[in-house]
Amino acid sequence: MMNYYDHFILPFAIGVTVLFTVILYKWIRWFVRMPQEDRRLVLRGIPTRQTLGAIGEVFMESLLHRRIWRVNPLLGYMHTSLAFGWFLLIAVGWVEASLQLPGEIIPLHAHVFFKFFAPEVDYGITGGLLGNIMDLLLLFVLSGVALAWFKRMRSKALGMQRTTKHVLGDRIALAALWFIFPARLVAESATSGLKHSTTFLTGNLGEWMVNTFGTEAIMHFSVYAWWFYSIVLGIFFVAMPFSRYMHIFTEIPLIFLRRYKVHSYEKAKSFDRFQIEACSRCGICIDPCQLQKDAGITNVQSVYFLRDRRYNRLTQEVAYNCLMCGRCETRCPVGIELNTLRLNSREKFAAMPADNRYAYLSSAADRSSGTSKVGYFAGCMTLLTPKILRAMDAIFKAAGEEVWYADKDGGVCCGRPLKLSGEVEAARRIMDFNRDLFRKHGITTLVTSCPICLKVFREDYHLKGIEVLHHSQYILRLIQQGRICVEHGHNSFTYHDPCELGRGSGIYEEPREVISQIGSLLEVDENRENALCCGSSLANIAINDAQQNRISQALAHELADTGADTVVTACPLCKKAIARNASQEVKDLSEVVAEALGQ
Amino acid sequence: MSKRVIVIGGGVAGMQTAATLAGLGIHPVIIEKGDRLGGKLLNWHKLFPTFTPAGEVLDTLRRQLKDVEIMTNTEVKRIEQSGVVLNDGRLLVSDAVVVCSGFDIFRAEIKEEYGYGIYDNVYTTVDIERMLNEGKVHTADGHIPERIAFLHCVGSRDEKVGQKHCSRVCCITGVKQAMELKELFPQSEIYNFYMDIRMFGPGYEEMYRQAQEEFNIHFIRGRISEASETIDKRVQIKAEDTLIGRPLKMTVDMLILIVGMKAGASNDRFAENRGIELYPSHFIRPRNQFVDNICSSAGNIFYAGTVTAPKNVGESLNEGVAAALRVSKYLED
Amino acid sequence: MVQFGYNISQPRAINMDKNDMMISQKILRTMPELQTCIACGSCTATCTAGAITSFNFRKVHTLVRRGEYKGAYEEMNKCMLCGKCRLSCPRGINTRGVVMLIKQELGEYR
Repeated sequence: MMNYYDHFILPFAIGVTVLFTVILYKWIRWFVRMPQEDRRLVLRGIPTRQTLGAIGEVFMESLLHRRIWRVNPLLGYMHTSLAFGWFLLIAVGWVEASLQLPGEIIPLHAHVFFKFFAPEVDYGITGGLLGNIMDLLLLFVLSGVALAWFKRMRSKALGMQRTTKHVLGDRIALAALWFIFPARLVAESATSGLKHSTTFLTGNLGEWMVNTFGTEAIMHFSVYAWWFYSIVLGIFFVAMPFSRYMHIFTEIPLIFLRRYKVHSYEKAKSFDRFQIEACSRCGICIDPCQLQKDAGITNVQSVYFLRDRRYNRLTQEVAYNCLMCGRCETRCPVGIELNTLRLNSREKFAAMPADNRYAYLSSAADRSSGTSKVGYFAGCMTLLTPKILRAMDAIFKAAGEEVWYADKDGGVCCGRPLKLSGEVEAARRIMDFNRDLFRKHGITTLVTSCPICLKVFREDYHLKGIEVLHHSQYILRLIQQGRICVEHGHNSFTYHDPCELGRGSGIYEEPREVISQIGSLLEVDENRENALCCGSSLANIAINDAQQNRISQALAHELADTGADTVVTACPLCKKAIARNASQEVKDLSEVVAEALGQ
Repeated sequence: MSKRVIVIGGGVAGMQTAATLAGLGIHPVIIEKGDRLGGKLLNWHKLFPTFTPAGEVLDTLRRQLKDVEIMTNTEVKRIEQSGVVLNDGRLLVSDAVVVCSGFDIFRAEIKEEYGYGIYDNVYTTVDIERMLNEGKVHTADGHIPERIAFLHCVGSRDEKVGQKHCSRVCCITGVKQAMELKELFPQSEIYNFYMDIRMFGPGYEEMYRQAQEEFNIHFIRGRISEASETIDKRVQIKAEDTLIGRPLKMTVDMLILIVGMKAGASNDRFAENRGIELYPSHFIRPRNQFVDNICSSAGNIFYAGTVTAPKNVGESLNEGVAAALRVSKYLED
Repeated sequence: MVQFGYNISQPRAINMDKNDMMISQKILRTMPELQTCIACGSCTATCTAGAITSFNFRKVHTLVRRGEYKGAYEEMNKCMLCGKCRLSCPRGINTRGVVMLIKQELGEYR
């Protein structure tokens, strides 16, 4: 039995113990506190195929970081080399130790510091080959470390305009991480040199060190080198669960939970912790954020929001200052539900008791008009864009559709703006009013011109038996059914995807199909999932008019650059915002259709 | 040989500038993008506060321009130190340039909520002047309006359309047109919706009082938020009567939008010249607002009229004289 | 409770010597743009809640700015935050932010 103890392993051993104790404590706590439905979902999900899928995903995402490769290959390589490289060092190191020390029960630290504890250098196939493989892996990881250094200095080369500004704890962990592999290289090389190893990296470097500084000096030096290596490992492991590096382990249960269909929700709950601590603060969310790009607001991006929320120092200012456009969410390599987390963080600031709110609705008059199975809900904003109302009227008329108008003469808000402001309970009262109204008039189809209303009707109203359509979908259906005809002209259009319609409700094709039947469609560079926000989003309660306007200006420029005659969008709020700064005409999809109506 | 000065724009300021220059023995050339001189006043009926026909003012100015070189249907692309470059690329050499290109009228369609260009009976003050000139003021279907609403500040003092400034002359224009319509239709009720009434000129306040007292024009303090059309093509408007603190609804036969002054679209092009600067409103900023308020930083470029800020006709005419005198002094030095 | 709706005989004068302006000043510090209101009434005219209740946003925030806080919280709770007023405001005031702020600062004055 070998003696596998040396004092220098203590920092490492303490670090590992702290790390796993804290992680287990956190995971168990979060899991136990999860609502019963969530836990049931997990228990039901475990014996299904989802578990296998999750294992695969863990490999692809936590180790290979496939999604980051999509952002930028160099950035992807950096993450892969660090995560997968380190993982392989541990795995291959274990094999190496097991093969060279057969029959022994090897304690954890012994293969981590294997070069130190290995009795002698094995020149055989296993030793020589594995030793070289281990060197290669170390080089692989070191290349990632070098890139990480380079990224700090020149983030643009890795496809990022801006990188995250880190807190002190993160900086300590980051510094430790940067030192781990260079320290390992030096320590292993010193020992290899003394033991006359021939591996290509540590062996040769060690030989050079011994030749240059002498055996005696390197013998002394190697003791310090191993101590240093163990200390940086220890520091990193202790800092890890308290820093952004908690994401390394948290992403794994998150992947499983997500596969079991556990989701965050409009109210905060324990599952949110898995998402919040799975954020690696990579900062990929910073670049797409228009608040940063156009309005000069640099402390509210999702990475900072999650950080503040994680450390319980979230301010109202940060929670409220978000367009919830979803541009960051589509790029998040961890797939965190950023919009939902932002939304459910707002309730504690709003926290207005819901009792008696909107009691006046019970005596509100029914101002709707007409009778039909088809209902039209214009939406509050649409009442300020009468061209849309006009156009919808013309379309309904051309299609011979009788319509029940829910709010032509003023209605009650759909409730989504209130929900977005964190007043979830109060919003339900408004929703109940409208739902009762829809039921009372017995509609089976509900058409709306406002994507904000659309989203809340679909997600929160539970309108069983009523099909909810955005007017772009409805219009396309009318065209396809031959109920209206549109004439193809020579106009060119560009289309702006409203956030709540595109990313929010997944409606990208219908408006485009309608436009392509009327004229040519010129796309902007950033469209569909990557479309810009108009800046007027009701989700942002904090920004002022000048900031909104700067965001709208940037969008208007993008749209103008297409050279299209007309900008088309499908949201009254977007229309108003773009029209403020547009050099060409801005129209709603319905207007374009109404103008092209043929026989 | 007399010195040659290019006057950009043949509105009242440009005409006055050219006439004064000619009187001083300088050779002015008016470049007018339209087909005749007169600018916005060509489409105006009568001028506040005296109800002087706009044509009278133009006739007087035209008489003074008998021997002046005029290029109509010509537009200036940019201003250079040596002269101006026209849209067709020609360079017209001159010793000095006076920019009198005026303002643009705010496009009321942009305030979609008021329904201009959508509803039949929503008009702008420009439409009303035209209708007064044609002698045909009536609703879209030819009826005499029984109830008329004017809305002040459309495209003025409105950040949402990038018009932060006050256009100054619209308050009095609204009062003037209200009186004219009341004269045409003594039986009609006329309501002016306003945020503030700014009566800055001589005789304006008196005219405002006269409108209230003698013409029984109703002034309601509140800005209309939106308009809709009723089945019989009347216009329903919503405002708050802010002096009472309650929302107000009203159906009218005509809604008239008192449109403001927008900086001329050509100002941005002109400002490519380093001597020409713009205000955030895109009106041209003179070298200073006091002793050099008709001068640029470029030395031989001068301004007159509404190219630098909203002004009334009298002020624009005065600036024409002032600019001409400064040009003449510059040419002597 | 102060009548926020129209009342021909207001209960008393606004006493600027006695009114506690602390909260009012705090609100204006947080959102200075509220001071730019020119009382045009567009917000109230377009108000979704104002069409079915006596809620008058312009009046409530003006009273709050004068140090008249009673009832303001309840009144602001009538707002549905639909955002039409923000779209109408010629001064570009973040009206929804004002509603949230006043409710937050005056929750005590219920």
